[in-house]
Amino acid sequence: MLSLLLIIPLLGIGLLNLCPQQFSRNIAAVTILSTFSISTWLLFGLDLSNPELQFTEFLPWLEILGLNYNVGVDGLSLPLIVLNGFLTLVAIYSIGENNNRPRLYHSLILFVNSGIAGALMASNLLLFFLFYELELIPFYLLIAIWGGKKKGYASTKFLIYTAISGLFVLGAFLGMTWLSESPTFDLENLTLSNLDLDTKIILLTVLLIGFGIKIPLVPLHTWLPDAYVEANCAVTVLLGGVFAKLGTYGLIRFGLQLFPEAWQSVAPVLAIIGTVSVMYGSLAAISQRDLKRMVAYSSIGHMGYILVATAAGTELSVLGAVAQMISHSLILALLFHLVGIIERKVGTRDLDVLNGLMNPVRGMPLTSSLLILAGMASAGIPGLIGFISEFMVFQGSFSRFPIPTLLCIIASGLTAVYFVILLNRTCFGRLNNDLAYYPKVILSEKIPAIALTLTIIFFGLQPSFLTRWIEPTTTQFVATMEMQTIALEAEQPFISN
Amino acid sequence: MDFSSTVASQLYTGAILPESIVILTLVVVLVGDLIVGRSRSGWLPYGTIAGLFGSVVALYFGWDNPNPVAFLGAFNSDNLSILFRGIIALSAAFTIMMSVRYVERSGTALSEFICILLTATLGAMFLSGANELVMIFVSLEMLSISSYLLTGYMKRDPRSNEAALKYLLIGAASSAIFLYGVSLLYGLSGGETILSNIAANIVDAQGGESLALAIALVFAIAGIAFKISAVPFHQWTPDVYEGSPTPVVAFLSVGSKAAGFALAIRLLVTVFDSVVTEWHLIFTALAILSMVLGNVVALAQTSMKRMLAYSSIAQAGFVMIGLVAGTDAGYSSVIFYLLIYLFMNLGAFTCVILFSLRTGTDQIAEYAGLYQKDPLLTLGLSVCLLSLGGIPPLAGFFGKIYLFWAGWQAGLYWLVLLGLITSVVSIYYYIRVVKMMVVKEPQEMSDSVRNYPAITWTAVGMRPLQVGLVFATVVTSLAGILSNPLFTIADSSVTSTPMLQAANHPKNQAVALVDQVPIEAPAIAND
Repeated sequence: MLSLLLIIPLLGIGLLNLCPQQFSRNIAAVTILSTFSISTWLLFGLDLSNPELQFTEFLPWLEILGLNYNVGVDGLSLPLIVLNGFLTLVAIYSIGENNNRPRLYHSLILFVNSGIAGALMASNLLLFFLFYELELIPFYLLIAIWGGKKKGYASTKFLIYTAISGLFVLGAFLGMTWLSESPTFDLENLTLSNLDLDTKIILLTVLLIGFGIKIPLVPLHTWLPDAYVEANCAVTVLLGGVFAKLGTYGLIRFGLQLFPEAWQSVAPVLAIIGTVSVMYGSLAAISQRDLKRMVAYSSIGHMGYILVATAAGTELSVLGAVAQMISHSLILALLFHLVGIIERKVGTRDLDVLNGLMNPVRGMPLTSSLLILAGMASAGIPGLIGFISEFMVFQGSFSRFPIPTLLCIIASGLTAVYFVILLNRTCFGRLNNDLAYYPKVILSEKIPAIALTLTIIFFGLQPSFLTRWIEPTTTQFVATMEMQTIALEAEQPFISN
Repeated sequence: MDFSSTVASQLYTGAILPESIVILTLVVVLVGDLIVGRSRSGWLPYGTIAGLFGSVVALYFGWDNPNPVAFLGAFNSDNLSILFRGIIALSAAFTIMMSVRYVERSGTALSEFICILLTATLGAMFLSGANELVMIFVSLEMLSISSYLLTGYMKRDPRSNEAALKYLLIGAASSAIFLYGVSLLYGLSGGETILSNIAANIVDAQGGESLALAIALVFAIAGIAFKISAVPFHQWTPDVYEGSPTPVVAFLSVGSKAAGFALAIRLLVTVFDSVVTEWHLIFTALAILSMVLGNVVALAQTSMKRMLAYSSIAQAGFVMIGLVAGTDAGYSSVIFYLLIYLFMNLGAFTCVILFSLRTGTDQIAEYAGLYQKDPLLTLGLSVCLLSLGGIPPLAGFFGKIYLFWAGWQAGLYWLVLLGLITSVVSIYYYIRVVKMMVVKEPQEMSDSVRNYPAITWTAVGMRPLQVGLVFATVVTSLAGILSNPLFTIADSSVTSTPMLQAANHPKNQAVALVDQVPIEAPAIAND
């Protein structure tokens, strides 16, 4: 069943390259719709009493390398897979009508969809790495072909950063597998508990740098503003919505789950890095004059919460971290989709030029009201999904890291500040009468925005629908982590003797 | 009768059946062309390709030969040599597919070209199984002299002449150095020329290490490193690759390099087993230098052929990781990578030839905007270059993972790390070409692409080019995912080669690793 999620997009690529160019969007949409329905169906078929990997498939592949086709999903990965399908649909409809190379665009989008789903479901380290690297070239091309003015620079920077991230991840994986003397890269064969703590911390650090580039954490983030701003908004939806989530996913799956004791010792540092990311993202966003750049920096801030929550490692905070991954994706996708519409219709992203888009007749009333809603969701206003996840994050991590959590709460206030600036300058005020002859926002642009908004509101009012899938898995992670830490503390005297 | 059958049973002439077929093809091509003349020689390339494939089939039947050592110890037809000879024969077949149109266009004779190429192939194939010093030297020189001739084949082109002269000068010098090393070995071993006897006698006489043996080792490595273009001995590569006919370069980068690695494995593992730490150290240094210099200098190249030259230096550096690892997994990763490298590099060169046949240029900048005019070429070159860069799910990714995995298992952490870093660097220059072809907008198109001719495959020699391109692209994209048979072949050739096993198993480090494989092997076989 899971393999269908990988195969159908690939078949879709074949089909859309054989059919005439004008059908490619529809073929891509139908393909993604079918994988999206399959993954939703799987979501409802997920056994919530079982925190282990489900719907597993195993096929021996390259035994000499220890690479097996070993896939499975749990409460951590399946919601992200569903999200992947949803945001890919958004990306298909948010590229705009003047897409000059639709075949290549949709092929790459489908390829990325398949690759991300593969990375999320892989339970073999090398298989994960394969899918992780698989996104490199499609995203490079997506940024480089459909991007803005500085797309060449941005895409190359993205490529190099991501390749280096892959290098660290592979280094850590090779080290983990070889040092644990596991014959294969399968996750269940990996027993890292017999390593000494220093080795684990080194491996974990390498892993953290690798995933930290992708998340991105503050010293490693400099590819993000360029890539997000220069990429087409449709590409940014995927880039920020699901691609960056591979980093946080990897952090939880391979960091928290495999290195419970080492995680405890690096957690304070991670909390500080996360807090710095949050503060930096918020403050940098305030000073931006470009709509997209502001949203890009807000993304850095919001990804920081995830790190703080993951570092805290309590049941509620890890649950909150995963919920924040999903809520951030939805909000970011909505924001970038709307920014894309504004950029296409108005022709500028400059906050000093934009004005009065709320005007019901000649402005873009629906777009700007949704933008206001998205800004509120991002700033953590109750009733929307952002509040729920941030609240879980704050409450969960307060018991372990009170000061970083407080700083994060302050930064979340700053989020409100820059979104008010943003909304004030774009939506309110008066339209410039000489320039304001904007094209109409067409239906295929409205539908993704409305769908995203409804999802955001729905989960904001009914958060249990979001958390019920995630909770069994995260609870299990934290329980294992605490158990192993206790076991280690009990063993420690013998080891030192 | 009795006497001849005894001799025949000692000679095991069946061991060189593949080479005999190549020789036969060579003679048929040469004589046939003399008889029918140049105007009616359209069948030549196809006959040659058929001959080379016949040779590969003969190699297949020689697999797992119970008596691999033939010709009174001069030639060893073990599974290792069979694989290398197969790689060489295939690379020659590919090269001929590429060269029909190219040579035709330059107004030179195809039959002589094919004959020299087949001689080079023969030399390389004999070198892969050569088990005796004189045999090694003769086949090495057979390969080298044919390579010089091929390099200067476009004799109206001054760059081809210059390349041939440079190549000859450096090659002859390195041959002389190699010969000096070999003569030292002959003396040190008290007059033995067969490799295994030399190893035995040197150990007895000198107790393993001596200054003379070290000199012999360094001199032999100088000769080998010239063939595989490892860094201090690489300087000929960029000039020769730029100056010589492109199909020749394709053969030099794959066939000649494979022969060099075959020689390296056989000579170093058998003869220099007592100084194994020394030659591992030397090859570590060569690998580091090759990876760094090859990858970094390739960044700055503007000509496609020169870029591929530096990239091939770098690829040799990657392969040397497997050689330095020295375990069963290490050697089998070398073979696996060379197998894959055959397809991706020859695919890349096919595209370069195709582009230069249509536009007459090699500059990377001239590739801009090609996707609009020639999608197949764009796809083929993108796939092959990305595979060279190690991008999943292409073949090169799996090859590199295997090399790095083998290196990591052998404890070569820093070498693997450097390999990883330099392969990130390599992605940059490979993607630069992809960017030119795919990303550039129609208005940014280069002049060559703007005046791109209509795509036809009907001219003489275009069809084999197309077949080769499609074949290489398909194999490069699928051989990674479906590489289990290739892995099994590479691995079993190493585990069934007595020479490598004798060298590896006493050290018992690699044994545990290799033994894991057969436990799971039946599952593979059933697939």
